[in-house]
Amino acid sequence: MTYTFRVSALAAEFGVHRNTIRNWIRNGSLPARPGPGRQYVMEWEAYRALCERYGRSPRPGTDRVKDPAMLQQMAGKADLPPVFLGRRSPTFTESPAWIESCLACGSCAAACPISGVDGLDPCRIIRMALLDLEEELLATDWPWKCTLCGRCEESCPMAVGIVGFMRHIRSLRDRERVPGPIHSGVTTCLERGNNLGIPEQDFLALLDDLGRELALSCPGFTVPVDRYGARLLVTINSKEPFTEPDSMKWWWRIFHEAGESWTIASSNWEGVNWGFFSGDDEAMRTIVGRMVDNLQRLNCSALLLPE
Amino acid sequence: MFDLLQEYIDQDRIRLDRTIHTGRTTYHDPCNYGRRSQQLFGHGYFEEGRAITRACCPDFVDMQPPGADNYCCGAGGGLWSMPYAAERVFHGRLKARQIRETGARLVIAPCHNCRDQILRSLNREYELDIEVKYLWQLVADSLAGPS
Repeated sequence: MTYTFRVSALAAEFGVHRNTIRNWIRNGSLPARPGPGRQYVMEWEAYRALCERYGRSPRPGTDRVKDPAMLQQMAGKADLPPVFLGRRSPTFTESPAWIESCLACGSCAAACPISGVDGLDPCRIIRMALLDLEEELLATDWPWKCTLCGRCEESCPMAVGIVGFMRHIRSLRDRERVPGPIHSGVTTCLERGNNLGIPEQDFLALLDDLGRELALSCPGFTVPVDRYGARLLVTINSKEPFTEPDSMKWWWRIFHEAGESWTIASSNWEGVNWGFFSGDDEAMRTIVGRMVDNLQRLNCSALLLPE
Repeated sequence: MFDLLQEYIDQDRIRLDRTIHTGRTTYHDPCNYGRRSQQLFGHGYFEEGRAITRACCPDFVDMQPPGADNYCCGAGGGLWSMPYAAERVFHGRLKARQIRETGARLVIAPCHNCRDQILRSLNREYELDIEVKYLWQLVADSLAGPS
């Protein structure tokens, strides 16, 4: 274990002139040898003895290197399982994210707003995947704490698809262990047409009530449900009918004013595709397919997805 | 959504009253409409939402950095619904700082998720004392009626 220093730094540390340090080195009372970059190296023990002689404590952090006895002990531990690097797991290499082109430059880590939270760091995640630390990576909650915001990708000089890769790791999580209500929302949507399981009858009654209310300020207004041939098919975020139904009226007032030809489907009207967040491609495809079905069934030419 | 609202404005199908939202206003770029749309479809919706906001609000100020380098609200990727509130609020510190630096009292968010995070979480956690509106809410509240 060694202590590395520059003459000026050591002089400042001990409150003596630089020439004094140089004299000590020259006459051998400071057992240091020259190193690269005008630095000197001495044994940490010699540094400690010097500190003791001048009534100082060694600089904090300089003694963190493990002592030789411990290093020897560690080297003797041959029963540690060796880690083989280089075997690339197809789980990751078959992802189209091109993680192999990562240069480990760390730009993504610098751009990520939550680097360091719980040890998370996009660069680290990519490197772990490349080093085949698949099991360790899948055990973390990192991909779920990432908001898929894409600042990492924006800064990546090699255009690694970090966001897609993060979502890919999400997709490998056992569905029962997907955090929060996202997976149950997907299941509910597949079974009942929307993430919150709002029954069709309740939904239609709500639209009717709200339409009547709006007609007081927008004469002649009604909510056009399943109107064949409307130009615009409008999807709904299920939180709106559930928690703040009046907020649907903002779009409706605009449609009324603009004289838009629009409609809401009576079933499968959900506009929020939680399969995207939970990493469930199949569910995502089904939910998108239902929107396309509604577009075709009602012969609409445009889709409004205000999510 | 942006194309539709812009179409109404361009074709004079709706008229907007610029005397309703006279306070300082800023605009939040949702990750999915901006960066993700740019990556998937070759077009990021950065300018459109600003143009519509400007059409309603005379005192408009951008957050720094705006557009492609803008920060996430902190609740994207499903985080609004996930049990990681501490991480979500921590992530949002950057958005809160950006908003505060603009001096805006009104923030326009064209995304359900971002609006909820900024209005219901960041506003409270970082004492921003702001109003947050959806882009279409701003337009609806600015409707000037038929000429």
